[in-house]
Amino acid sequence: MQHFAELFIASVLLAGLYAAMAFGLGLIYGVLRIVNLAHGGVIMAGAYAGWWLYETVGLDPYLSLIPVAAAAFLFGVVIYRLLVRRLPRGAAGGVQSLLLLFGVWLILRNIAYLLFTGNDQTLRTSYSTKALSLANASISVNRVAVFFIALAILLFLHLLLRKTYLGKAIRAVAQNPDSCTLVGIPIERIYALTFGIGTALAAAGGLLGATLFPFSPSFGSAELLKSFVVVVLGGLGSIAGTAIAALILAMVEIFSILIPGFPVYLTAAVGFVLLVLVLVLRPGGLFGQRVLG
Amino acid sequence: MDILRPATKLAAAAVCCAAVATAPARAQTEIKIGATLPLTGAESRIGGFYKEGYDLAFEEWNKKGGLDVGGKKMKLNLQLLDDTSTQATAASLADRLINSEKVNFLLGTYATNLVEAQSVVAEQNEIPYVNGGGAATAIYKRGYKWVFGLLSPVEILATSMMEWVDSEQKAGKLPKPASIALVWENTSHGKDFRKGVTEFAEKSKGGYKVVVDESFELGGKDFSALLDKVKAANADMFLADAHLPDYITMQRQYVTAGMCNKVISYGARGPEKQATDALGKEHVQYIVSAVWWSSQLADKNKLAGDFVQKFKAKYGGRNPEWYQALGYETARTLFTAIEKAGSLDREKVRQTLAQLKIPSILPGGELDFPAKFGQQVHAPFVVQQNMPDGKSPIIAPPDSALAKGIAPNPSCAKSASK
Repeated sequence: MQHFAELFIASVLLAGLYAAMAFGLGLIYGVLRIVNLAHGGVIMAGAYAGWWLYETVGLDPYLSLIPVAAAAFLFGVVIYRLLVRRLPRGAAGGVQSLLLLFGVWLILRNIAYLLFTGNDQTLRTSYSTKALSLANASISVNRVAVFFIALAILLFLHLLLRKTYLGKAIRAVAQNPDSCTLVGIPIERIYALTFGIGTALAAAGGLLGATLFPFSPSFGSAELLKSFVVVVLGGLGSIAGTAIAALILAMVEIFSILIPGFPVYLTAAVGFVLLVLVLVLRPGGLFGQRVLG
Repeated sequence: MDILRPATKLAAAAVCCAAVATAPARAQTEIKIGATLPLTGAESRIGGFYKEGYDLAFEEWNKKGGLDVGGKKMKLNLQLLDDTSTQATAASLADRLINSEKVNFLLGTYATNLVEAQSVVAEQNEIPYVNGGGAATAIYKRGYKWVFGLLSPVEILATSMMEWVDSEQKAGKLPKPASIALVWENTSHGKDFRKGVTEFAEKSKGGYKVVVDESFELGGKDFSALLDKVKAANADMFLADAHLPDYITMQRQYVTAGMCNKVISYGARGPEKQATDALGKEHVQYIVSAVWWSSQLADKNKLAGDFVQKFKAKYGGRNPEWYQALGYETARTLFTAIEKAGSLDREKVRQTLAQLKIPSILPGGELDFPAKFGQQVHAPFVVQQNMPDGKSPIIAPPDSALAKGIAPNPSCAKSASK
């Protein structure tokens, strides 16, 4: 029972990290219908930005979430204005958007190699190895912090999309951009803001990841794949679905160790098997394809 | 005259042909040695270290006027290309070096997967390929004739470490039987490590019992389930084989979970500055590691001492790590074989390499390429242990040891008394 409780806590905390990394990808797909492959590059850039702020000015990684997310937001808006805006909309722009954003990712990665070399970096704070005791289990302070920040991001997105004019406009654009033009919603601005918010969330996710494990310029590839699994499982465009899917993925990965004879190195594959099953049986995701619900 | 005319023409043609045929041999005043290294990409840091080793060796021999090939001094020319840490590029560049650049011999790249891909090209083109960057036994089990490896297999890493553990057990410092939680990355490196530990445990006839035997995916994000299993097994020893990022992530989770084992190891990882910076000195102390080479060998091996001196002189007093040492030794071995063969003939140099037995900077002090191991060096590893003062002295094998190893891990007694 104790072992089970420890595994459950570990799954919930891991889900927080997965959700934090996937929100941005889900938001951008939900509104622009673009699979943002630059998401992996921004996750990596967020990790380096947080590390750089900590190493140079001593800013705590959790405090640096604000400037890093703000810078990433601006970066996202610029990328949208300069590049993404020129792509054909909808399915017609599918392949072009994949190639273009993959190119952005490669550029970001190579800039990181130039600036920081291929060395692994780590963020070490005074509380990096501190633990809390809960249900006789030792839990990393960092993992708890990441979980609560992921919850805060979920709440922020919910309030933004439900309670603000911008959120309502984002949802409207996601539902029917043509009608939005008719009623005077500036859809290009909404797209740019959404791309900016999605990019900011990716950078925040990367920074949170950097508080837990080492990173290098190749950081972001595995995270992008996990985010993709989470977003598809949760139903493209569903923010709450993303959070629940992150929990399901984390639980499947963590609890698979209890299967006798199951090799632990295959836990990552479990997520992809789940992805294939969902795509075959429920192509809209476990919680149905929603428009930013 | 008419009868002589065709003969004269024939003779003239023969002279021309002979002149053309001998022209390249006369023109060759230098030996072209090709190599690729991961100078960019994921392995760029280590690729740069190997380059330092290669550069030092080439500079040293060229200063002496080059290699003595059959009584003639020939300068060395290194044609080094960047394989960008990718297998496909490593293989295609090796092909380019052999068939376009017409190099005489090849030096290998770094990392098992790259060497694995590149060695196929060398074998197909029948060119001697000496590498110091591929340790997996899988590379040398293919029956290749032209591939020579200086990195001892990771199985020996595990065996060298277990021999030290065994000496501590025999001294009564570790329980008998001692239980082992064995955790290894799912790569050929990890599989060789696992093989070394499990075979040692089997041969010990009850001295060791593997109670956890689990693999994990490279670059894991969460090892809590795996560590939970290790904790539940209450093993005496925690032996893992991991790359640096996984070592840091796993050890961080190990520490926060309040775990402690009488012996703890992450294979070749342990004394890295990055790990100490990431985890804190107090959280890496008493970790045991085993590596292919250490600059501490300078005190015990004259050749290693000379190498360390030359390296420091060239690179601003910096101590070399095993990567630079292996790079240097790989180049030095090929140079020695060419001189001993007295020829640039590939087959002659291959045969010389296959029979070579020379003093070496490697632990054990001698180097050869045993045919029974697929021409892979089987030198011992040096076992080190992180001490509270931040140093990581060699604790085994006895002929290289500079300090006495500590077992059981004193940190466990401290955490138990808290």
